[in-house]
Amino acid sequence: MRESIQHFINTLSQPTISFLILFFLFFFIFPPNAWFHRINRKLGLEALWTVKGGIAIFASMTALLIFGGFDANFRSIILKPDNVPIILLLFGSIFFLWLSMHQAMQNDRRLRGDEPPEEWVKESDRKVLVWPDLVYIELIAMVLCMVLLLVWSIVLKAPLEEPADPSATPNPSKAPWYFLALQEMLVYFDPWLAGVVFPTLIIVGLMAIPYMDTDRSTSGFYSYEKRRTFISLFLFGWLVLWVYMIIVGTFLRGPGWNFFGPFERWDLHKVVALNNVNVSEIVYVKMLGQTLPDGILIREGPGILLILVYFLVIPPLLAKTSLKGFFNRMGSVKYSFFIFFCLTALSLPLKMLSRWFLNLKYFIATPWFNI
Amino acid sequence: MAKDKKNYNPFKSLIWKSIFRTAVPTEKRGRMMQVLNNVFLHLHPVAVPKHSVKVKYTWCMGGLTFFVFLVLTVTGVLLMFYYRPTVENAYTDIIDLGETTPLGIMREIHRWGAHLMVITVWLHMFRVFMTGAYKPPREFNWAIGVILLVLTMLLSFTGYLLPWDQLAIWAITVGSNMAAATPLLGREGPGAALVSIGDINLVTPQSDAKFGLLGESEVRGMALLRFYVFHCVAFPLVAVVFMAVHFWRVRKDGGVSGPM
Amino acid sequence: MSDNAPDKQISDATQVSRRGFISWMSIGWLTFAATMGGFATMVGRFLFPNVLFEPSQSFKAGVPEEYQPNSVSTAFKAKQRVWIVRTDDRIFALLAKCTHLGCTPNWLANENKFKCPCHGSGFRITGINYEGPAPRPLERVQISLADDGRIQLDKAVTFRHEKGDWEHPDSYLMV
Repeated sequence: MRESIQHFINTLSQPTISFLILFFLFFFIFPPNAWFHRINRKLGLEALWTVKGGIAIFASMTALLIFGGFDANFRSIILKPDNVPIILLLFGSIFFLWLSMHQAMQNDRRLRGDEPPEEWVKESDRKVLVWPDLVYIELIAMVLCMVLLLVWSIVLKAPLEEPADPSATPNPSKAPWYFLALQEMLVYFDPWLAGVVFPTLIIVGLMAIPYMDTDRSTSGFYSYEKRRTFISLFLFGWLVLWVYMIIVGTFLRGPGWNFFGPFERWDLHKVVALNNVNVSEIVYVKMLGQTLPDGILIREGPGILLILVYFLVIPPLLAKTSLKGFFNRMGSVKYSFFIFFCLTALSLPLKMLSRWFLNLKYFIATPWFNI
Repeated sequence: MAKDKKNYNPFKSLIWKSIFRTAVPTEKRGRMMQVLNNVFLHLHPVAVPKHSVKVKYTWCMGGLTFFVFLVLTVTGVLLMFYYRPTVENAYTDIIDLGETTPLGIMREIHRWGAHLMVITVWLHMFRVFMTGAYKPPREFNWAIGVILLVLTMLLSFTGYLLPWDQLAIWAITVGSNMAAATPLLGREGPGAALVSIGDINLVTPQSDAKFGLLGESEVRGMALLRFYVFHCVAFPLVAVVFMAVHFWRVRKDGGVSGPM
Repeated sequence: MSDNAPDKQISDATQVSRRGFISWMSIGWLTFAATMGGFATMVGRFLFPNVLFEPSQSFKAGVPEEYQPNSVSTAFKAKQRVWIVRTDDRIFALLAKCTHLGCTPNWLANENKFKCPCHGSGFRITGINYEGPAPRPLERVQISLADDGRIQLDKAVTFRHEKGDWEHPDSYLMV
């Protein structure tokens, strides 16, 4: 019984499966537009954000953790001192996700009934004095935080491994956990993209959010329905492309950077055949049955074409069709930036999927750079 | 001194008043003066909107991030008394911090505090997003916040090398090799060969972005020293400046956000 | 300055035309940016020392007869980060540094390949990459026979396959 559940979880957590499930479920749970929202309501998924839903989420997460705790391998991974913060992050991010969505649902209901959001207070009794109403809350928060930190420090020793040795790379060797999403990207993209261009774009993209989403009427309180496109896309980036990737990188990547299920023993000699091909090979060799052409521009032509279509043809196409209202509201400049950041973020899952199902290595492969 | 002991009120004594300017406040005016007269409390306005003191609204995450930063500063300074950033000493000094130093959990507080700060910064950002608090007029402060987020992660990353164990150098080797892949500026990056004068290539292992980060071509002693200086001096100073701007703008942009 | 009409001076100064204001503003900002850029360049240059005190890059590695045909010697991996490979007719030295992100791969004799523990790149005994994210083959280092008949290696000079360097006579030894 236990073994079959473990086997089931191992299978389910493979990135090919878990990521696909997450990818397709995500937009029904966090609908970005009216169509998804209707299905979301029909399926009753809003119940997740009620108190009962919250208890169910946490009960199942805790149950999974306790169930996993009986397995020696699983236990050794989650109790590794440097992995403890990730458990904290996992529970923290889910809890605060629930808390914000819970309040957003309440406010959405009030807004639909033409009531002001819960945070809104009558002008006459709006203000409270900082001394003592705020400072005592801050004091309690600080004390609790310090207690947490002290207990954590007493219970868990900070990790210290063997002294540094430049000639022996530990297997697997991982970046600090908060960079593991970037390290996971390195599997799919070359370092100059995954390590330099994408992090820069993440930073610039985050900074650009308020310059693209300027609707002041939904500022300053929890809400979902009126902001659903931005919230849905932001949550996709935060939960799927960041937190999920960290969890995969920490718990499910083992020796040789191979993938291991949570109940799978880390086998140093696990061999996974990786015979990846480029777009040029797929097009010329597999589809047209020719040899690769010599001219580099002709050889990489299909890949270049694909990328140009992705970044230059799709945005105007969407602006004319499904994102028409969005385009009209934002104007062409904001829209261009918005769609560029969205497509760049989406290029990661697309590259992952094409790696898994087409064994794709590069769209464009040149001696100078690869994409 | 014929003072009546029963009526003696220490809060009205000369010394107390010289320090705090106000006696312990019990009425509204005194409470306002308490905030106005104190340089630390003066980070706050005198009065704030009712919803913004609710924990379920702010989650206290921004304030806790600042608090953890202060804890990290204090413990970090204490650790600097024992830690020497050289290849010979770094690792053994870290062991001694746990074994031979009184209150041997100083390094633990620092390390777990660093993890905690990364988490609280992320959650603070998440809260600000979910309440739509980044919207005009607060858009610039959100950008400052993103810079502070990056600084937090850079501080964590530079601190990761200092124990000089296997975890440290390989995480930094992988991380700094990403710098080597910077387009144009890194030795392995695309277009590096284009940056040259005549036949002389300007981007070499001795002159590229990775070298600037490490101070040498591979992770060795100079890199340890350079990361130590970044971690203990350069990044904290930059972070303090941006924090000052961040807090100032919170107030100038209308305080903690709320419905219009 | 002016001793006859100070009032006029002041009113002149306060009535700056819009065009004048904008051009003064841009000159001011440009000067400011140039100064800051200059300081930043100086700080940047300061971080790159003129003389590097790095350990010597060349060393000697025994006589060619020590190496068995079709084998990889890991004797110098720990100290020098170099593998010495002998194929049927050649000896060459590969730098033990993954071309993906610079981790040190391991030689797996049973599977006849170099495997990098960081992201799973695999290289054949020749150093050619064939699996995982590594974008190019491992690098060879300069190899020659010293006067005393021993192999002389210099890591400061490297040879890359994708540039056609492996045909260079300094990149291998014939045996």
